[in-house]
Amino acid sequence: MTALLIIIGVVVLIAILMYNSLIGKKNQVENIFAGVDTVLKKRFDLIPNLVASVSQYMEHEKSTLEKVTELRAAAMKPGISDDQKIALDAKLTSALGAINLAMEAYPDLKANENVMHLQRSLNEIEEQISAARRAYNQAVTDLNNAIEMFPTNLMAGWMNLSRRAVFEITVTERQNVDVRALFNK
Amino acid sequence: MRSTSELTDFYYKELYPSLNELEETRKKIVSQLKWYGGMGAVSFLLLAAWMGKNFGLLHPLSIAIVIGSIAVSGITYRIMTHGYAKDFKTKIITPLIGAIDPHLLYNPDFMISQHLFERSDLFQHTIDRYRGNDYVKGSINGVPIEFSDIHAEYQTRDSKGRTQWHTLFRGLFLVAEFNKHFKAKTVILPDKAEKSFGSLIGGWLQSINLSREDLIRLDDPEFEKHFVVYGNDPIEARYILTHSMMKRLLDFQRRISHPLFVSFVHNHIHVAIGTSKDLFEPAVFTSLLDYKQTMEYINTLRNTIGLVEELKLSEKLWSKV
Repeated sequence: MTALLIIIGVVVLIAILMYNSLIGKKNQVENIFAGVDTVLKKRFDLIPNLVASVSQYMEHEKSTLEKVTELRAAAMKPGISDDQKIALDAKLTSALGAINLAMEAYPDLKANENVMHLQRSLNEIEEQISAARRAYNQAVTDLNNAIEMFPTNLMAGWMNLSRRAVFEITVTERQNVDVRALFNK
Repeated sequence: MRSTSELTDFYYKELYPSLNELEETRKKIVSQLKWYGGMGAVSFLLLAAWMGKNFGLLHPLSIAIVIGSIAVSGITYRIMTHGYAKDFKTKIITPLIGAIDPHLLYNPDFMISQHLFERSDLFQHTIDRYRGNDYVKGSINGVPIEFSDIHAEYQTRDSKGRTQWHTLFRGLFLVAEFNKHFKAKTVILPDKAEKSFGSLIGGWLQSINLSREDLIRLDDPEFEKHFVVYGNDPIEARYILTHSMMKRLLDFQRRISHPLFVSFVHNHIHVAIGTSKDLFEPAVFTSLLDYKQTMEYINTLRNTIGLVEELKLSEKLWSKV
């Protein structure tokens, strides 16, 4: 009888520990996503400024600039899911990268103090976003591992937890952002 | 900052007159040491023989005499080399540091403050004795930096009430301004647990380390193999530890071959290198003109001061300008 009680006790204890660790991981993901959101918002705030200041110079890049504005509007819509946000962020990053590259072709832009300041701010925020993405990816990987690995997968199935998407880290991000090279070209 | 070969040239050319002078002193000291050593050994043996005959070798008095002789010879060695060590620091190390960068000040008797050492949070133990020397302060490419030799110890008492001293850290300690703003604390320590227990059990042991903040696992497997990172903000830790920063720290670790401890607190980077010895002490039993010896002085200085360039601390982001 006592042996049975002990076994039941141990099983219950393990179940509680597993449940708590899964909840902890899920909350960690949400917590860090809030951090990602904050830096993404910072970037959204800069975009209208950037578009306004460069559009008069960048005649040929009108479509890219419009795309950036559209993406920003889409990402700022209330009620979109985290996964959608992640997808939009990837598009926005690549569009902004295209603008960054295109700016090289306009010497007038580089003489504009205001634009340069904006670009520097954007670069700094880009670094923060990259850090936030990496933190998020780690938290999501921890959660996904727990969801798929035995025995936590049983508990996760019962708790209705599902795998989450990670941010794709682009090749350019893996490289060091060389600010000096960007400006001295 | 000058290159290693330029510094080697400087050492052998510009410092040659002082080196020669010191080398003469060194030779004199060595011959004196040999003389005193010989005399000491002979008298010690005579005394030991006499003691052994009259009281027995394990008599408390005999043991006291053995300990006393060791202490006396240690003190004699200190006294005899003291002036020489001081001269070496003023005539060789001071100009050498000046040659590396004229913005650096050197004080052989001073050390980095205990407050900064404790702020780094690298070694979580109360410190009962804090000593150091060879303090360098200044700026490299506009980055404020300071470092010195540090020997931090703590005390314990055994069951018989005897005090014992334990070394908490001995080596080089450096503090420099970091090129990014941050609020959280990030601590990087050598990875002992994963090395001895493997990544699964070791990783689990690290994650339950109660005295530290949360374990932060980073996306560079090679870095993870060598270091363990604790911090209270996972995003900021990655903002500081970019992929390139992790690679630079790893490269630095590979080159120094001593345990490396790094922390980011209060907008500063704190680096502790556990060399387990004093840095700029002059060689007594090898020649000052010896190439290997020379390179050790130059490389230590260059590696330490070069950390600012190596970690690109001077490349500031706009918000820190």
